[in-house]
Amino acid sequence: MEYRMEQQMELSQKLAVLADAAKYDVACTSSGVERKNTGRGGGNCIAPGICHSFSADGRCISLLKILFTNECIFDCKYCINRRSNDVLRASFTPQEVCDLTIGFYRRNYIEGLFLSSGILGSPDVTMELLYQTLYKLRREYHFQGYIHVKAIPGAAPELVERMGYLADRMSVNLELPTAEGLKTLAPQKKRPKMLAPIRQVHQARRQNKQELALYRHAPRFVPAGQSTQMIIGASGESDWQIMKVAEHMYQKYEMKRVFYSAFLRVNEDSLLPVLPGGPPLLREHRLYQADWLLRFYGFGTEELLSEENPDFNLLLDPKCDWALRHLDRFPVEVMGADYHTLLRVPGIGYRSAGRIVKARGLGTLDYGNLKKMGVVLKRAVYFITCGGRQMYPVKLQEDYILRNLLDGKEKLSADAKDTSVYRQMSLFDDPRFSV
Amino acid sequence: MIRVFQCEDTLTGIMTGVYDAWDSRLGHGQVRLQTAQNMDLELFCEYVTVFPDLVKAEKVLRTIQRCMGEEAFEMIAYASSYPDDRKADALYRMIVLGLHLPDGREICGMLTQPEVRLVFELRRKAWHIAHRYMGFVRFRELKSGVLLSVIDAEADVLALIAPHFADRLPLENWTIYDRRRKKAAVHPAGKGWLILEEVEEACFCSQKESEEEARYDALWKIFHQAVGIAERTNPDLQSSFLPRKFRPFMNEFSGRQEASKGGRDLL
Repeated sequence: MEYRMEQQMELSQKLAVLADAAKYDVACTSSGVERKNTGRGGGNCIAPGICHSFSADGRCISLLKILFTNECIFDCKYCINRRSNDVLRASFTPQEVCDLTIGFYRRNYIEGLFLSSGILGSPDVTMELLYQTLYKLRREYHFQGYIHVKAIPGAAPELVERMGYLADRMSVNLELPTAEGLKTLAPQKKRPKMLAPIRQVHQARRQNKQELALYRHAPRFVPAGQSTQMIIGASGESDWQIMKVAEHMYQKYEMKRVFYSAFLRVNEDSLLPVLPGGPPLLREHRLYQADWLLRFYGFGTEELLSEENPDFNLLLDPKCDWALRHLDRFPVEVMGADYHTLLRVPGIGYRSAGRIVKARGLGTLDYGNLKKMGVVLKRAVYFITCGGRQMYPVKLQEDYILRNLLDGKEKLSADAKDTSVYRQMSLFDDPRFSV
Repeated sequence: MIRVFQCEDTLTGIMTGVYDAWDSRLGHGQVRLQTAQNMDLELFCEYVTVFPDLVKAEKVLRTIQRCMGEEAFEMIAYASSYPDDRKADALYRMIVLGLHLPDGREICGMLTQPEVRLVFELRRKAWHIAHRYMGFVRFRELKSGVLLSVIDAEADVLALIAPHFADRLPLENWTIYDRRRKKAAVHPAGKGWLILEEVEEACFCSQKESEEEARYDALWKIFHQAVGIAERTNPDLQSSFLPRKFRPFMNEFSGRQEASKGGRDLL
């Protein structure tokens, strides 16, 4: 039997272990805060964020995404770093994290730091270590780039508050959408405990907004807002439940983002589902599409899904799906409809809707103009008229539109295609009849 | 007879062309602007070469800023950096149109006008390229502590990205060299940035890298490897976000030597 003795690890080895352990965290955005350099140290932030590289899985690398330590006292079933797993453990020191961040930042490899951590000893101890790191980076190195840090559920509120003045974004992962799922898969994590820091940051941000209105140079508390993340497909909840939670997060806690992460089976455990087709990436994609509809298009979960129809149609994007179920609202006249009606047309995004509204006040539009403005006519053509005319005669029928939309649309995985609407018709086919 | 004003492919060049074309008093229908590289000569045209003149260009730019607003000004400046043969004439038409409007600020929304739309598109393309380079520029530290980066940009983005880096790294000496145009943006620590034209790459690349450099280079490669999830591997998605033309200049994808030998040959 081989024993792994604790020994001094090289920085490169630590980085390999702790970056690998952090890779399952989805959030790598550097957006939401605009900050000019003060001239004392390095760094600034721009509101749209900047992607610095892309990893082999096509995800953006914007921040140095690492765990402070992967030693953890928790035993969550889905997590690679759970206590009962025999994986190589490592911890950074605050100095090492600072060196890495500054060294990478100077060479324009990264936009800032994403610091998460396993629970080392107790939540307070872990949070204190994260705080020391951030303090060093911000106050000693005068680093003014982006910092995203995890709030550790269960840590003292004072620590969360102090941290909030150093970080740009804070997040607490909800992990699983339902409390029952959490109970089976992450028994040590409690929903109320997780919501406490979220609530605290939310309230402090509101208060801070008022302070900033009074004193322009007051220190800013978590200027880029909060985000959270949920694992999709680990505990059998429906899309409706997930979207409900997300909507709640956006409305009640003014979250900037909710991230969805398709479940990956990294541990062998009887409580975890087996997914022979790989992680449910298409489902994740549909959830993100719906998430955008919530945030930018004025949709509500109730409109997209219901308790009777709890899952998204994997074949169609949620907006097309909604439009097909509400054909009575179409066609929409592009020259006359208001902005919010235009937003609900498949193929018209919030940018092209804005451009249409701006341009039609200054001239007449035709289909050529619409195309140039970024309207996706292959989807929009079924739902709009321009100057009272359709682009070419199309029937406003659900079957007809569905068939045409599915023709040559986005690439779907093989298992999704199997459930396609095409099938051999038989004489006794009746959709209302089932055995 | 149409008079074609051939101007240099810079903002100054085009704006001087705009000034001269208007000043010729032939009427807007009788003049056309062209950037110098386009050499398809037409029979019934008279060709005039325009020499860039800072005074004239500044006059035009000031008028644009005053009558058409900051947004149109930025749109014109960005569009002029994108390589497109039609841009000089489109910019001219847009300026003519904008100055004839009762409120010149409305010009940015007039996307039904083909010239305005073209300028709008070019602005967007130039901004996209500049934004990409804000992320994809890779600095390496030389012995003297200078940070050096080499790019080969499609559009003339140096002036668009230099303010960003000047704000980001104010206390560093850094240089971004554009291999295609033989230009460099240079920033001395604690001072403003400037652009050098007609400089050879060898002027910058003669120095050796610092000792720290190899260490951070290796660490970054380790990080880049570790952060990808094997089960989700998707090279198509990766190359749509990060096209291969950028990769020879990015250390995580290739060795430094390859990039310095000539990035374009690799592809």
